[in-house]
Amino acid sequence: MGFGMFQTVADIAFVMTFLGVAAHWVLVPTRKPRNVVQGAVHVFSLLLIEQRTSLLGALKKLAYLLSLVCFVVLAITGFWPLLVRGEHISGYLMMIHATFAPIFALCLAVIAVTWAGENRFTAEDCPWVRRLLRRATRLQVPAEEKPCACAVVGYKATFWLLLFLALPLILSIVISMFPLLGTDWQHHTAAIHRWTGLAFAVIAILHTYLAIRLRMTREV
Amino acid sequence: MRKVLFAGLCLPSALVWLIAVGMAAEPATKAVTNRGDGSRAPGIHRLPLYAEPLEPGKQGDKITKETDPALPFSMRGTCSECHVYKHDYDVIRKGWHFNASDPNVPPGRPGPPWIYTDVTMGTQIPLSYRAWPGTFRPEQVGLTPFQFTQLFGRQMPGGGPGEVDTDADDEITRQMVSGKLEINCLSCHNRDPGHDQAEYAAQIAKQSFRWAATASAPFASVSGSAKEMDDTFDHLMPDMVMDEKKKPLIPTVTYQPQAFNHKDEVFFNVSGKIPADRCYFCHSDINASQCGSEKWEADEDVHLTAGLTCVDCHREGLEHNTIRGYEGEVNSNVLAASTSCKGCHIGDENGRAPHAGRLGAPVPAHKGIPAVHFDRLSCTACHSGPWPGATTDLCKTSQAHGLGTHGINKSPTALPHVLYPVFAKQAPVDSQEADPKPGKIAPHKLIWPAFWGTIGAEDKVSPLKLDTVKKVVGPALQGLKFTAAGAWAEIKEEQVLAALKTLAGSVEEGKPVYVTGGTLYRLKDDGTLSIHQDHPAAAAYTWPLAHNVRPAAQSLGVGKCTVCHSTGAPFFFGEVAVDSPIAAVSNLTKAQYQFQQAPYGRTWAFAMSFVFRPWFKVVAIGSAALLAVVLLLYGLRALGAVARVLAEQEK
Repeated sequence: MGFGMFQTVADIAFVMTFLGVAAHWVLVPTRKPRNVVQGAVHVFSLLLIEQRTSLLGALKKLAYLLSLVCFVVLAITGFWPLLVRGEHISGYLMMIHATFAPIFALCLAVIAVTWAGENRFTAEDCPWVRRLLRRATRLQVPAEEKPCACAVVGYKATFWLLLFLALPLILSIVISMFPLLGTDWQHHTAAIHRWTGLAFAVIAILHTYLAIRLRMTREV
Repeated sequence: MRKVLFAGLCLPSALVWLIAVGMAAEPATKAVTNRGDGSRAPGIHRLPLYAEPLEPGKQGDKITKETDPALPFSMRGTCSECHVYKHDYDVIRKGWHFNASDPNVPPGRPGPPWIYTDVTMGTQIPLSYRAWPGTFRPEQVGLTPFQFTQLFGRQMPGGGPGEVDTDADDEITRQMVSGKLEINCLSCHNRDPGHDQAEYAAQIAKQSFRWAATASAPFASVSGSAKEMDDTFDHLMPDMVMDEKKKPLIPTVTYQPQAFNHKDEVFFNVSGKIPADRCYFCHSDINASQCGSEKWEADEDVHLTAGLTCVDCHREGLEHNTIRGYEGEVNSNVLAASTSCKGCHIGDENGRAPHAGRLGAPVPAHKGIPAVHFDRLSCTACHSGPWPGATTDLCKTSQAHGLGTHGINKSPTALPHVLYPVFAKQAPVDSQEADPKPGKIAPHKLIWPAFWGTIGAEDKVSPLKLDTVKKVVGPALQGLKFTAAGAWAEIKEEQVLAALKTLAGSVEEGKPVYVTGGTLYRLKDDGTLSIHQDHPAAAAYTWPLAHNVRPAAQSLGVGKCTVCHSTGAPFFFGEVAVDSPIAAVSNLTKAQYQFQQAPYGRTWAFAMSFVFRPWFKVVAIGSAALLAVVLLLYGLRALGAVARVLAEQEK
């Protein structure tokens, strides 16, 4: 798919994502509604390392927040020239992008190691999956009649998706730096980087939204 | 009655049919005759020689070994015996090599200018009849087509300005003496090793235009000089020259008697498969800084060493609309679009038939080179010209320095000073768009114009006529120290000031200026000198170079990115010398990135970022490995959980 197609799809994807998040925020209010000031203070507190956490906790938080900052920088530097100026990334934007990229990759690796455990799917996450399995396979899968914690499932799913997409996102650009691939494959790897970058950005926005939302309702 | 009716219908039909056949048959037969029949076997040219016609449109007299006086043969008359269809000569003269002086011909990509140099006047000025920005038309410096031909016809295959009827009163009779410089088909097509293009050039310098082609042929020799003849000289009646001193200088032709066969025909070893040696006479260059004038020290273009010749790529038909070979060339030649570097080496993926690999061209893999390079750089940027060094080299070319002609200055520093390689952004050419995209970066040759002129409205600078400069500026530049090497003689700024003051009283429009090395000198109202560096009107003239192409193993960037992407890389940060007879100007330098319209800070920062690139790779690969391990580990754990559930069900 060509450059024009990517621009169109990316525009639609970002608009849909932000509209979806806004609609969800309005239509499905948090269980413990706060007023605007309280909510803003709470979200802002996410940017600060909690003093009560251990050194590992601080590292986890630092990696998470740093990756968030890197993500914002990478998304702006990566998508701005493509979607706004209609040209490939170059010049200072390229340099900023390439500077933040390895930091982001490192943060993702730290997050993967330190956050993977608590983002494992558990039996309680999706009761409806168990019920479906029991009906479909006739296995004696225990299934409780609890309501589904969709936000938690979404949060975990987006976490794993991000880790999964990070692999082609990183490798597509690193491999192209070695004298391994010819011109056609250079185009392919650039396309892979673009498309996985788009998917990654959309999922990262959803993940961040869910993280904030769960944090506000103290579910995570 | 029926017979009459039948005849009445049939006769007009037959008449119409006969007329139709008659109209169709004649051009078809001649077209086939003149275009060849498709055989790849070379045609043999045993031709009677014809002299210049006495009346336009008529054939000249046939020349035999008995003709007395022996007349120079006319290429037009001799070749037109066969090449008459649609007046082939008039078709050919519209071809690329002959149409420069036709203002209706699109100029195309900037090419090599003709450079007028005069060390005594501190002048080297690029001239061209084509509207290449940065060059000046010969008439702007007061050169008539006749004078231009005498100066630069040495490395032209005739035609063009050489055939223009002069309208200068003092030149009309001279042109009758010299004749016109017809297209010399032999300049390119003669495969005979005895062909002497240097003698052709010598005849042009002697104003013996009519005799030049004959002098180049291996079966004839020419003595004398038309320049030495009076305005009344008639080449058909040389005996009318009464001046004993001038008699030995009468242009005289001697044909080798054995060259004529029993039908008084002469064998011309001509072919459309033109050997590179013919092209080299006008299209040679040498790196004077590295090789001096020793051509054996320099490698040839990789295409020639692979067995190709120039015309394998620079093809043309009878129209002589030569393919110049650059990407995006607009040319009526049907092969122009597919005959470029890309056309043969990469081809058109959407083409009807595969083009990649034409003539055995290797298809490049370009492994590890990000595709953005192909958007920003021409093929020649990495593959052509000399390997860039800390500073530019001096280059000598046939057209600029008269290489291959008799009596030239062989010094590496002889004027004009052509510098290369300069990696500059190409001007958009042949574009039909209103706002064309900037061109790709390509290696260029460069000349810093140096000339006396006037500045007028909107800071537009026009060169002064050469005669005026010699008369007016000459006295102010007395005492310059010339060298045998033919390089600049240093001009002091005080001398420039004196010359400008003298000129101020002579020029009618504008104010006098001296342009050199990108700097513009002008006279202030208070009588002092104003020095304006980097004046747009003093900008260097650059033209892309395409040859010599280096082998792939010697292309820029081979093996590592830092060949270009480092803070000391010549490609971006190499010095481009500033050339001028004024020491204060010639001490200046430019950097390559300035010709690429790239800001220093960004270029330097980008180059610097490559220091960290290995770290980037290590961090990115390490992170990706860690991510993969985590995904694999938790994936296996998930699989284990599923297996455990299934196992429990079994129990």
